[in-house]
Amino acid sequence: MKPEVEAIRKERDVIAVISMAGIILTGLFIVLQIKEAAIVCIVVCALPLILLYRQGRLLSAAKLICDNPILTVPSSVITAENRAGERMTEETIVSTFGLLLGSKVYKWGCDGISGTRLQRVRLDRNHIWLTFGVDNEVLCIKLLHGITDKARVMEITQKLWRETGVQAEVSD
Amino acid sequence: MIYKNTRVLSVAAFSFLFAYLLSFLFEGQVLYSTIEAYGAQTHTYIFSAILAHLAGLFSCGYFIRTQRSAKLAMTGVMAACLVSSVPFFFAPSVLWLAGLIIAGFFGGWAVAAWGYFLKACTPKNERIKTCADVLIFSNLIMIAVNVVAMNVSHDVGLTLSMLCLIIGAVLTWLLPAGPVQEPQYESGGKSFTNIKKPMLVLFLFVAILTIDSGLMYQVINPAFGHLRGLVSWYWAVPYIAALAFMRNLPIRNRIQRSLFLYVGMGMIIAAFITFMLLGRGTSDYLVVNTLMLGACGIFDLFWWSILGEMLDYTSNPVRVFGAGLSANVLGVLLGDVLGAGITSVGFSEAEVAVIALTVVCITLVILPPLNRQLVLLLKNHAYLDAYDRMDKEQREEIICQIKLKASLTEREKEVLQLILAGKSNKEISEVLFITESTVKTHVRNIFSKYDVGSRAELISDILKNKSES
Repeated sequence: MKPEVEAIRKERDVIAVISMAGIILTGLFIVLQIKEAAIVCIVVCALPLILLYRQGRLLSAAKLICDNPILTVPSSVITAENRAGERMTEETIVSTFGLLLGSKVYKWGCDGISGTRLQRVRLDRNHIWLTFGVDNEVLCIKLLHGITDKARVMEITQKLWRETGVQAEVSD
Repeated sequence: MIYKNTRVLSVAAFSFLFAYLLSFLFEGQVLYSTIEAYGAQTHTYIFSAILAHLAGLFSCGYFIRTQRSAKLAMTGVMAACLVSSVPFFFAPSVLWLAGLIIAGFFGGWAVAAWGYFLKACTPKNERIKTCADVLIFSNLIMIAVNVVAMNVSHDVGLTLSMLCLIIGAVLTWLLPAGPVQEPQYESGGKSFTNIKKPMLVLFLFVAILTIDSGLMYQVINPAFGHLRGLVSWYWAVPYIAALAFMRNLPIRNRIQRSLFLYVGMGMIIAAFITFMLLGRGTSDYLVVNTLMLGACGIFDLFWWSILGEMLDYTSNPVRVFGAGLSANVLGVLLGDVLGAGITSVGFSEAEVAVIALTVVCITLVILPPLNRQLVLLLKNHAYLDAYDRMDKEQREEIICQIKLKASLTEREKEVLQLILAGKSNKEISEVLFITESTVKTHVRNIFSKYDVGSRAELISDILKNKSES
């Protein structure tokens, strides 16, 4: 398993342990008939359970991205509309279903036509730009692809089209 | 129009019959009030009626094989039930037990025989509505009878119950004896003989699902016995509300109904936890009963609608419908026995509730894999048979004719071809050398682009498109 996915999994496991402890404690209070403590415990347990659900979804999305890689690059620049660029130096995986940027997950093409979709892909000699989002919430990510071989660029373009249905715009 | 009229008639007939069962025969308040009024032993009568009902539901399909015989049998056995209920106007005697056994058995026959009319009088995609309607109307009638039985007199309650039976019998007599409309397409002999496995899974599923209802009758209900007035009318209100909610869900959400199964499970667990934590006052009853009966409403419509859909795959709807409902009765009986066993040992109320909650949790753990198995079996059934019978050109032609909400990617097209070839997600992943979760995501995207919720619906749309073009 990739270290980025492993980190997400570890976080999920910690939250799962906390949730389990909370549930056991709640059960204990119920058996001991300490109503107030049981009610407080139930309320407090809700937060780690919600976090557990979110982390579980994040982990499956990260795994999905790692299972379907199209391109792996060493660094990237993220730009949102009306916002300055933010440089990331972690390894980035571009896949059929999104981007895994360090331990950050950007999904697309996972939730049908109403979900986030990859909208545009541009490629030049050094960089690849990926634009994705829903309606006005669009994010553009610029990656240094480091590929010098033209045949490899064509191969990636072809794979992107086949997997995501987006025809990449290639320029020199 | 003919369809609509016969559907309304069949719903009304069954609602009155079912109201008699719910208010009297099947652990009904009229029966409880009558037994209590004479200070008789409850368990013997209740268990005898349930066992006889179980036997009636299960055996009916072996004797009734045509719609005409179903109509005659329903009317006849309702008359037998009517006669068998008369001894309850008098003091307890051996006739009570005999009456309950006869009425229970023939009541099971009458209910199972209605399977023919559910199939014949309701279009395929409307069966969930028909099931919801009969459950809602029968429960509304039952509430009215309960209120009278508990607040006026058990004799008046019994008279009303029997009146329901008479109305049910008259309406049944008006039902058509022959088929109302030919089905749009039948699945052929193969489908009619291959439903044993889905039926077995459904039987297990329903039985386990309803154990909790039996437990509720024995554990939760007696604890609120002192709130007689409120219980008489509020008891089934959350159940009816849940049914109405599920009935009126938009089509897309109804397709993802298994999600509501999990909501129901959460509600049942919450009901038992609140039962342990809260007191025994009015507001406590409202909370516990709302959670419990709301969940029962979700569960009941869930499996009733699956049962309704399964009627298309059989030439003997009475056997399928009777078997499905007998699983429900078996579940209630098991829950009753468990509940009676737990309460008779002499544990404190809190200990009883903890044991009951443990049983609930165990049954709920078994449900998701059973549901998954059932859905898989149903998905791969008749729709794929019909598609299999087409040649390659026909398949490609009808796929092209369907309007898509967004274009498919090349990869999605590959996955779609394999779905239509009847392959499971696992098989598709092996063919395309991708993981099963990747296949699931592609499948979800394909469904979204075709605006469908399942494989079965996707192929059903394709077939519909073929018949229209």
